Amino acid sequence: MSDSKQKYSRRDFFKASGLIAAGAVGGPTVLGGLRKAEAAAPEVAPMESHFSACDMCFNKCGLIARSENGVVTKLDPNPKFLKSRGMLCARGNAGINQVYDPDRLKYPLLRVGERGEGKWKRISWDEALDLAASKMEEVRKKYLPCGHLFSAGTDLQSQFVGRFAEVYGSFNVTSHESLCLVSNNRAFLDTFGEVPHPDVLNSKYIIMAGANRFEALVTPDSMDLMTTMRENGCKLVTLDPRYTKTAALSDEWYPIKPGTDMVFMLALAHVIVGEKLYDAQWIEEKTYGIEQLAEHVKQYTPEFAAEECGIPAKAIARIAREIAAAAPAAMIYPGRRSSDYEDSTQIRRAFAIVNGLLGNWDRPGGLLAARAVGLKGVQYDAPWYDDNHYDRVDADKVPMMFEHEGSFLLTRDAVLADDPYEVRGWLVYKTNPMGTAPNRKKTIEMMNKMDFVTVVDIAMSDTAWYADLVLPSQSYLERADPCSGLQGSSACACVIKRDPVIDPLYESRACFDVMKGLAERMDLGEFFDFTIPEYREKQLAGLPKAEEVLDRDGVYYNPSKVYGIYEGKVYKTLSKKVELYNQRYEQMGIDPLPVYTPPTKVPANQFRLVIGRNALVTQSSTANNELLHEFVPTNTLWLNPQAAQKLNIADGDVVQVSSSVGTQELKAEVTDKIRTDTVYMLTGFNTLSTRQHLAHNNGASIADILEGDIDAITGNAALHTTFVTVTRKVA
Amino acid sequence: MAQQLAMVIDATKCIDCKGCVAACKVANNVPEGQWRNWIKQDEGTPTPGVLPTAKTRFQPGACMHCENPTCVDACPTGATYKDKETGAVIINDALCIGCGNCIPACPYNARFRNAVKRKADKCNYCPERRAHGLLPACVDTCPTKARVFGDINDPESEAGRLFRKNKAKLVQVAAKTDTKPNMYYIGDPGLQDWAGEAVIPASMIAMKESAPFIKGIVGLSGLGVLAMLSRQLFVSSDENKENDDA
Repeated sequence: MSDSKQKYSRRDFFKASGLIAAGAVGGPTVLGGLRKAEAAAPEVAPMESHFSACDMCFNKCGLIARSENGVVTKLDPNPKFLKSRGMLCARGNAGINQVYDPDRLKYPLLRVGERGEGKWKRISWDEALDLAASKMEEVRKKYLPCGHLFSAGTDLQSQFVGRFAEVYGSFNVTSHESLCLVSNNRAFLDTFGEVPHPDVLNSKYIIMAGANRFEALVTPDSMDLMTTMRENGCKLVTLDPRYTKTAALSDEWYPIKPGTDMVFMLALAHVIVGEKLYDAQWIEEKTYGIEQLAEHVKQYTPEFAAEECGIPAKAIARIAREIAAAAPAAMIYPGRRSSDYEDSTQIRRAFAIVNGLLGNWDRPGGLLAARAVGLKGVQYDAPWYDDNHYDRVDADKVPMMFEHEGSFLLTRDAVLADDPYEVRGWLVYKTNPMGTAPNRKKTIEMMNKMDFVTVVDIAMSDTAWYADLVLPSQSYLERADPCSGLQGSSACACVIKRDPVIDPLYESRACFDVMKGLAERMDLGEFFDFTIPEYREKQLAGLPKAEEVLDRDGVYYNPSKVYGIYEGKVYKTLSKKVELYNQRYEQMGIDPLPVYTPPTKVPANQFRLVIGRNALVTQSSTANNELLHEFVPTNTLWLNPQAAQKLNIADGDVVQVSSSVGTQELKAEVTDKIRTDTVYMLTGFNTLSTRQHLAHNNGASIADILEGDIDAITGNAALHTTFVTVTRKVA
Repeated sequence: MAQQLAMVIDATKCIDCKGCVAACKVANNVPEGQWRNWIKQDEGTPTPGVLPTAKTRFQPGACMHCENPTCVDACPTGATYKDKETGAVIINDALCIGCGNCIPACPYNARFRNAVKRKADKCNYCPERRAHGLLPACVDTCPTKARVFGDINDPESEAGRLFRKNKAKLVQVAAKTDTKPNMYYIGDPGLQDWAGEAVIPASMIAMKESAPFIKGIVGLSGLGVLAMLSRQLFVSSDENKENDDA
């Protein structure tokens, strides 16, 4: 096209084909920001922008939904959202695919075949709510209010399920947390009196064990970790049996023997205490039990730990000295999912104790207390039912369960055993224990125990697949949600809300409306006699400007105190100090200091199965996401080349993975990114539900293979205690 | 000075989360199985202990909007051109006949034939977004802000500032054909030798040397009568002088 031989110009063709709208140059800036010189001037299609908060994992990153003619076309990060550092990850971008998933639940469905057979009948909402309400009444009459179980996932409307359960009269509410993080929360709570928020951004030395922050994204930690490494020269030491992306980007990586993190931590304590590398004054003033700890950790020499965990003694001692030198701007990263071993609370106590020794509590680069957000709780007086059971169905099985989270696995066992009482009704909202709890067959048995199960969800999850009644809920872009206060460590303490970006699709209804509809039919309507905006108004009563700011920026920040919150205050523990030695544990007959027990030896010709995350997968909730499926089309079994060679397994071979409870098949991924004694696969594949067409008959269900031990203190699931055999599938 | 839109990328910040790739797919309706951008992985060999300093690198990339774009040479219709104003390499869909010549002509494999549109496709820095004052989707969404976009000739822009500040150590991907890519990496982006050679059909090279106007004619024949009419409507445009860049 050189030498101007052509008689037309490109711009002319743009014009001719309508690609340039007249006067569109430097079109309106829509909640974003580009310098004028970098902006472009093609057609400016009409675009609406609405603030919202992501719902593709638990983080709730602030976003701006772009829509055209009532259809969401793009989800962008809200640049003003400090907690997420103005980002939106791949899953956040794939939120559109969740909303417009062709397999989405569209109208109420009533089971007409056997459980799990997949035969459904479309019914009206009125029929559905009438039926569910009458079944719930029946259960309550026959088995007392606690005879009904309620399970709700992480969601801004899950509080309405909790409210409904309470006014219905049941104590039995479980969340996803006892399949995830309760042991970690327990351990830090029982050390510091509250669950901390790590100030990753200002930390100079971080040991990350049992966490994978560059793949299992947590805001702001994941982004702040990279920032502090690049800008503050923060050192990152990662312990992981897998060479995760976090491991790969670390300064040091040790493929620790699974189940030995505690001994590594105790050896750090051995060196720090033995060599008096701590701030003596801080320890004296703020902590309780340094003498007992000193005595206790004498046995845990780096040499002893090295034998157990496989990390050289010299490295352990050096790391202890380095992190102590960097303290207090240093930390053992507290992590989140700690559903790994039967002593997971004690393992995490060891993490917490080393943090105590580093004197990092309430200080820059250390572990921070929750900041004031300023949201008010919305009170109600639940009715009292005299004729009821005394306690939760999973009570008194473990000493320190969180009452408000429960233990899903203990609940399941209690339901199966009818001990201490019968539970025959179950309502599930936006959580999928069938897909995520270990030992899927047991969860199916639990379903079979039930007289009536109602599932409220956006997708036909495996839990929904086994229910009696499935009610289509609204996605996060279709509904108004209550305000939520978020802790963002040193980045912020903030409030978010959601308002509808698009009209609800199909016949979907918000969970709130479902619970309200049920309540009205059960003479409990007075407890749901409000709208979401009215509810928010009560929540925001102490923050007069918040609503306005939320509408303007999509987020409200409370400029509350970040550091030194505990100056002049007591800790919420028995000793009113940081409890290196836990007095309450002693009183309850629990080891007051973590005692290391070697993990069960991996039997010959078997492997330890570990679970873990990937930045493109949120357990089973992204199983059917078309966009994410392009990145992670199936799950594979990570298998070390040495182990694979012994078993005559080549990369890509289909293998059978068997535990004592189940067998699944999937392709082997032969990789030196994993130890020889360990195998790994992603959660969320091979659904039973055929209405998740991308995940059904695809890969392996880890829930079917995992055996389901529990943490002895909290009842948290222990998901790393399953041993499996791996064999090449003979065609 | 004319603009040169470019990306200045700190590859050491990349965590390979694929946020940029997902954002691009959605923003540009990129068909299933096709991609306008990527993250190359160089995770090294897992070696326990202190990891080597030249450790893992994840290298975000896409069309590099080259100074010497070989794809432009390979295009028989003039659909692909380097925009004078912005320095971006653009595909005019209306002119593209989907011949595929440009695909092997890119040593970075940045081009593909869009399976739905049946035309050449690649990163165009999201002009629709920029028209709304928004950043390209991949840049906007990046969790660690590894990707920085802007006019590197503008010292006031973030990209320009980074470009100047790091000029001595900026790295470009070295292809076997030096196209002078406008994608600059701060520090070591890892993998260096993945880019190939520009393969341009001999006929196109001959055409470029002997009768460049053929491009225009081929382009017109591909457009049909409507386009011819439009051409006549706008034939008096003063922008014809711009057409020597192809």
